[in-house]
Amino acid sequence: MANQTDLVNHSNGRIEAVQQREATAPVVDVYENVDELLLLVDVPGATNDGIEVQLDKGQLTILAKRREDAPGSLLAAEYRVCDYLRVFSVPQGIDPAKIDAQLSGGVLRLRLPKSESVKPRRIEVRQG
Amino acid sequence: MFSRFGDTSRDFALLDEFRRRLDRVWEDMDPSWSASPSSSSSHSSASWPRVNLYDAGSNLVLKADVPGLSEKDINVTLNESGVSISGARKVSAPEGYSAHRQERASFSFSRSLTLPCKVNPEQTQASVKNGVLTVSLAKAPEAQPRQIAVQAH
Repeated sequence: MANQTDLVNHSNGRIEAVQQREATAPVVDVYENVDELLLLVDVPGATNDGIEVQLDKGQLTILAKRREDAPGSLLAAEYRVCDYLRVFSVPQGIDPAKIDAQLSGGVLRLRLPKSESVKPRRIEVRQG
Repeated sequence: MFSRFGDTSRDFALLDEFRRRLDRVWEDMDPSWSASPSSSSSHSSASWPRVNLYDAGSNLVLKADVPGLSEKDINVTLNESGVSISGARKVSAPEGYSAHRQERASFSFSRSLTLPCKVNPEQTQASVKNGVLTVSLAKAPEAQPRQIAVQAH
Protein backbone atom coordinates (compact mmCIF):
# COMPACT_ATOMS: atom_id res chain seq x y z
CA MET A 1 0.00 0.00 0.00
CA ALA A 2 2.07 2.92 1.23
CA ASN A 3 4.88 1.11 -0.38
CA GLN A 4 7.38 3.05 -2.42
CA THR A 5 9.42 0.54 -4.27
CA ASP A 6 10.92 2.44 -7.17
CA LEU A 7 14.57 3.19 -6.76
CA VAL A 8 14.40 5.76 -9.49
CA ASN A 9 11.35 7.59 -10.63
CA HIS A 10 10.96 6.72 -14.29
CA SER A 11 8.41 9.13 -15.64
CA ASN A 12 7.74 7.32 -18.89
CA GLY A 13 7.66 3.91 -17.23
CA ARG A 14 9.14 2.16 -20.25
CA ILE A 15 12.48 1.39 -18.70
CA GLU A 16 13.20 -2.06 -17.36
CA ALA A 17 11.74 -2.46 -13.90
CA VAL A 18 13.96 -3.26 -10.96
CA GLN A 19 13.10 -6.71 -9.76
CA GLN A 20 11.70 -6.68 -6.29
CA ARG A 21 11.03 -9.27 -3.66
CA GLU A 22 7.47 -10.06 -2.88
CA ALA A 23 6.27 -8.66 0.44
CA THR A 24 3.11 -8.96 2.44
CA ALA A 25 1.66 -6.57 5.02
CA PRO A 26 1.88 -8.05 8.53
CA VAL A 27 -0.87 -7.54 11.11
CA VAL A 28 -0.02 -4.91 13.69
CA ASP A 29 -1.26 -3.77 17.09
CA VAL A 30 -0.53 -0.18 18.05
CA TYR A 31 -0.67 0.91 21.70
CA GLU A 32 0.18 4.14 23.41
CA ASN A 33 0.82 5.31 26.94
CA VAL A 34 2.25 8.55 28.30
CA ASP A 35 5.84 7.49 27.68
CA GLU A 36 5.82 5.63 24.41
CA LEU A 37 4.13 4.08 21.43
CA LEU A 38 4.23 0.30 21.35
CA LEU A 39 3.85 -1.73 18.18
CA LEU A 40 3.38 -5.48 18.08
CA VAL A 41 3.93 -6.97 14.65
CA ASP A 42 3.37 -10.60 13.63
CA VAL A 43 6.38 -11.65 11.54
CA PRO A 44 6.54 -15.45 11.76
CA GLY A 45 9.70 -16.91 10.29
CA ALA A 46 11.70 -13.70 10.44
CA THR A 47 14.99 -13.66 12.31
CA ASN A 48 16.85 -10.86 14.12
CA ASP A 49 19.27 -10.10 11.31
CA GLY A 50 16.50 -9.82 8.74
CA ILE A 51 14.68 -6.97 10.45
CA GLU A 52 15.07 -3.38 9.39
CA VAL A 53 13.27 -0.60 11.20
CA GLN A 54 13.69 2.92 9.92
CA LEU A 55 12.20 6.24 10.90
CA ASP A 56 12.64 8.85 8.23
CA LYS A 57 10.64 12.02 7.61
CA GLY A 58 7.88 10.90 9.93
CA GLN A 59 7.56 7.53 8.21
CA LEU A 60 8.25 4.38 10.11
CA THR A 61 9.22 1.54 7.80
CA ILE A 62 9.18 -1.98 9.16
CA LEU A 63 10.80 -4.57 6.92
CA ALA A 64 11.26 -8.14 8.05
CA LYS A 65 13.00 -10.45 5.67
CA ARG A 66 12.12 -14.08 5.73
CA ARG A 67 14.62 -16.60 4.50
CA GLU A 68 13.45 -20.13 4.76
CA ASP A 69 14.59 -23.05 2.73
CA ALA A 70 11.85 -25.41 1.71
CA PRO A 71 12.44 -28.75 3.43
CA GLY A 72 11.40 -30.61 0.30
CA SER A 73 9.18 -30.32 -2.70
CA LEU A 74 6.00 -28.39 -2.07
CA LEU A 75 2.88 -30.56 -2.04
CA ALA A 76 0.33 -27.98 -0.98
CA ALA A 77 0.59 -24.30 -0.17
CA GLU A 78 -1.76 -22.08 1.76
CA TYR A 79 0.72 -19.31 2.27
CA ARG A 80 3.74 -17.93 0.53
CA VAL A 81 7.04 -17.48 2.26
CA CYS A 82 7.77 -13.82 1.64
CA ASP A 83 9.05 -10.68 3.35
CA TYR A 84 6.96 -8.43 5.55
CA LEU A 85 6.71 -4.74 4.85
CA ARG A 86 4.60 -2.05 6.40
CA VAL A 87 4.90 1.72 6.56
CA PHE A 88 3.29 3.97 9.15
CA SER A 89 3.11 7.72 9.57
CA VAL A 90 4.41 8.50 13.01
CA PRO A 91 3.42 11.62 14.96
CA GLN A 92 6.09 14.14 15.78
CA GLY A 93 8.03 13.89 18.99
CA ILE A 94 9.41 10.37 18.63
CA ASP A 95 13.13 10.12 19.25
CA PRO A 96 14.53 7.94 16.42
CA ALA A 97 17.68 7.15 18.40
CA LYS A 98 15.73 5.56 21.22
CA ILE A 99 13.58 3.19 19.19
CA ASP A 100 13.90 -0.29 20.60
CA ALA A 101 13.08 -3.48 18.72
CA GLN A 102 12.80 -6.94 20.17
CA LEU A 103 11.85 -10.17 18.44
CA SER A 104 10.45 -13.16 20.22
CA GLY A 105 8.44 -16.09 18.92
CA GLY A 106 7.71 -14.44 15.60
CA VAL A 107 6.35 -11.27 17.17
CA LEU A 108 8.29 -8.04 16.78
CA ARG A 109 7.91 -5.62 19.67
CA LEU A 110 8.77 -2.04 18.77
CA ARG A 111 8.96 0.65 21.40
CA LEU A 112 9.00 4.26 20.27
CA PRO A 113 9.71 6.49 23.28
CA LYS A 114 8.27 9.99 23.14
CA SER A 115 10.66 12.87 23.61
CA GLU A 116 10.28 14.94 26.78
CA SER A 117 8.79 17.90 24.94
CA VAL A 118 5.61 16.08 23.92
CA LYS A 119 4.88 14.29 27.17
CA PRO A 120 1.91 15.68 29.05
CA ARG A 121 2.98 17.95 31.89
CA ARG A 122 1.04 18.79 34.96
CA ILE A 123 1.01 22.50 35.74
CA GLU A 124 1.02 23.35 39.36
CA VAL A 125 -1.37 26.16 40.31
CA ARG A 126 0.25 28.63 42.67
CA GLN A 127 -1.51 30.50 45.38
CA GLY A 128 -2.27 34.02 44.17
CA MET B 1 -14.07 -30.28 9.83
CA PHE B 2 -11.73 -32.19 7.62
CA SER B 3 -10.24 -30.25 4.81
CA ARG B 4 -8.04 -31.41 2.01
CA PHE B 5 -5.03 -29.58 0.78
CA GLY B 6 -5.83 -27.99 -2.50
CA ASP B 7 -5.68 -25.03 -4.72
CA THR B 8 -8.91 -23.60 -3.35
CA SER B 9 -7.42 -22.93 0.06
CA ARG B 10 -4.59 -21.07 -1.58
CA ASP B 11 -7.09 -18.91 -3.44
CA PHE B 12 -8.85 -18.20 -0.17
CA ALA B 13 -5.55 -17.20 1.39
CA LEU B 14 -5.19 -14.58 -1.31
CA LEU B 15 -8.78 -13.46 -0.76
CA ASP B 16 -8.14 -13.14 2.97
CA GLU B 17 -5.09 -11.01 2.31
CA PHE B 18 -7.13 -8.87 -0.07
CA ARG B 19 -9.87 -8.43 2.49
CA ARG B 20 -7.38 -7.43 5.17
CA ARG B 21 -5.93 -4.83 2.86
CA LEU B 22 -9.38 -3.47 2.03
CA ASP B 23 -10.26 -3.33 5.71
CA ARG B 24 -7.21 -1.20 6.25
CA VAL B 25 -8.16 1.16 3.45
CA TRP B 26 -11.58 1.67 5.05
CA GLU B 27 -9.99 2.23 8.43
CA ASP B 28 -7.72 4.89 7.04
CA MET B 29 -10.65 6.68 5.42
CA ASP B 30 -13.06 6.36 8.30
CA PRO B 31 -11.62 5.51 11.74
CA SER B 32 -15.04 4.55 13.10
CA TRP B 33 -14.96 1.55 10.78
CA SER B 34 -12.45 -0.18 12.99
CA ALA B 35 -14.95 -0.07 15.85
CA SER B 36 -17.26 -2.43 13.98
CA PRO B 37 -16.87 -5.99 15.25
CA SER B 38 -16.73 -7.52 11.79
CA SER B 39 -13.31 -6.13 11.05
CA SER B 40 -11.85 -6.84 14.47
CA SER B 41 -10.83 -10.37 13.59
CA SER B 42 -8.39 -10.34 10.77
CA HIS B 43 -8.19 -14.10 10.54
CA SER B 44 -11.05 -16.52 10.46
CA SER B 45 -10.14 -19.16 12.98
CA ALA B 46 -11.47 -21.98 10.78
CA SER B 47 -8.58 -21.51 8.39
CA TRP B 48 -5.92 -20.55 10.90
CA PRO B 49 -3.08 -21.30 10.95
CA ARG B 50 -2.23 -21.42 7.27
CA VAL B 51 -0.33 -24.58 6.47
CA ASN B 52 2.24 -25.58 3.88
CA LEU B 53 3.03 -29.22 3.24
CA TYR B 54 6.32 -30.46 1.83
CA ASP B 55 7.50 -33.83 0.66
CA ALA B 56 11.06 -34.42 1.86
CA GLY B 57 11.53 -37.94 0.53
CA SER B 58 11.32 -40.18 3.58
CA ASN B 59 9.06 -37.84 5.50
CA LEU B 60 6.41 -35.19 5.11
CA VAL B 61 7.04 -31.77 6.60
CA LEU B 62 4.17 -29.55 7.63
CA LYS B 63 4.82 -25.90 8.35
CA ALA B 64 2.45 -23.34 9.81
CA ASP B 65 2.82 -19.72 10.88
CA VAL B 66 1.90 -19.41 14.53
CA PRO B 67 3.31 -16.05 15.67
CA GLY B 68 3.28 -15.48 19.41
CA LEU B 69 2.50 -19.08 20.27
CA SER B 70 4.84 -21.28 22.27
CA GLU B 71 4.97 -25.07 22.33
CA LYS B 72 2.59 -25.05 25.31
CA ASP B 73 -0.16 -23.37 23.30
CA ILE B 74 -0.29 -25.91 20.48
CA ASN B 75 -1.57 -29.47 20.42
CA VAL B 76 -0.65 -31.70 17.54
CA THR B 77 -2.51 -34.99 17.31
CA LEU B 78 -2.07 -37.69 14.77
CA ASN B 79 -4.51 -40.34 13.66
CA GLU B 80 -4.82 -42.86 10.86
CA SER B 81 -5.41 -40.54 7.99
CA GLY B 82 -4.46 -37.12 9.14
CA VAL B 83 -3.08 -34.64 11.56
CA SER B 84 -4.88 -32.12 13.76
CA ILE B 85 -3.53 -28.87 15.08
CA SER B 86 -5.40 -27.09 17.83
CA GLY B 87 -4.79 -24.55 20.51
CA ALA B 88 -5.52 -21.03 21.56
CA ARG B 89 -3.92 -17.74 20.86
CA LYS B 90 -4.30 -15.07 23.49
CA VAL B 91 -3.54 -11.48 22.67
CA SER B 92 -4.10 -9.05 25.50
CA ALA B 93 -3.49 -5.35 25.55
CA PRO B 94 -0.49 -4.51 27.72
CA GLU B 95 -1.29 -2.95 31.07
CA GLY B 96 -1.61 0.81 31.09
CA TYR B 97 -1.71 1.29 27.33
CA SER B 98 -4.56 2.50 25.19
CA ALA B 99 -5.06 0.83 21.83
CA HIS B 100 -4.93 2.65 18.51
CA ARG B 101 -5.12 -0.37 16.30
CA GLN B 102 -5.71 -4.02 17.07
CA GLU B 103 -5.35 -6.31 14.11
CA ARG B 104 -3.88 -9.25 15.98
CA ALA B 105 -6.81 -11.24 17.23
CA SER B 106 -7.07 -13.81 19.99
CA PHE B 107 -9.00 -16.94 19.23
CA SER B 108 -8.86 -20.66 19.61
CA PHE B 109 -8.26 -22.77 16.57
CA SER B 110 -8.55 -26.33 15.41
CA ARG B 111 -7.66 -27.76 12.06
CA SER B 112 -7.72 -31.28 10.76
CA LEU B 113 -5.81 -32.09 7.63
CA THR B 114 -5.81 -35.17 5.51
CA LEU B 115 -2.35 -36.37 4.59
CA PRO B 116 -1.53 -37.76 1.16
CA CYS B 117 -0.02 -40.98 2.56
CA LYS B 118 0.20 -43.05 5.72
CA VAL B 119 2.67 -41.90 8.33
CA ASN B 120 4.46 -43.55 11.21
CA PRO B 121 3.14 -41.98 14.44
CA GLU B 122 6.19 -43.11 16.42
CA GLN B 123 8.56 -40.95 14.43
CA THR B 124 6.68 -37.70 14.38
CA GLN B 125 8.33 -34.58 15.72
CA ALA B 126 6.96 -31.10 16.21
CA SER B 127 8.76 -27.90 17.12
CA VAL B 128 8.14 -24.17 17.20
CA LYS B 129 10.84 -21.72 16.19
CA ASN B 130 10.52 -18.02 15.37
CA GLY B 131 6.76 -18.37 15.35
CA VAL B 132 6.74 -21.19 12.82
CA LEU B 133 5.44 -24.63 13.71
CA THR B 134 7.22 -27.50 11.98
CA VAL B 135 5.82 -31.01 12.14
CA SER B 136 7.95 -33.74 10.66
CA LEU B 137 6.00 -36.89 9.82
CA ALA B 138 7.86 -40.02 8.82
CA LYS B 139 6.16 -41.84 5.99
CA ALA B 140 4.96 -45.35 6.72
CA PRO B 141 7.26 -48.03 5.27
CA GLU B 142 4.87 -48.80 2.42
CA ALA B 143 4.80 -45.15 1.43
CA GLN B 144 8.56 -44.68 1.43
CA PRO B 145 10.15 -43.98 -1.91
CA ARG B 146 11.84 -47.07 -3.23
CA GLN B 147 14.77 -47.27 -5.54
CA ILE B 148 14.21 -49.82 -8.27
CA ALA B 149 17.39 -51.24 -9.67
CA VAL B 150 17.42 -51.30 -13.45
CA GLN B 151 18.85 -54.56 -14.67
CA ALA B 152 20.88 -55.06 -17.76
CA HIS B 153 20.08 -57.99 -20.00
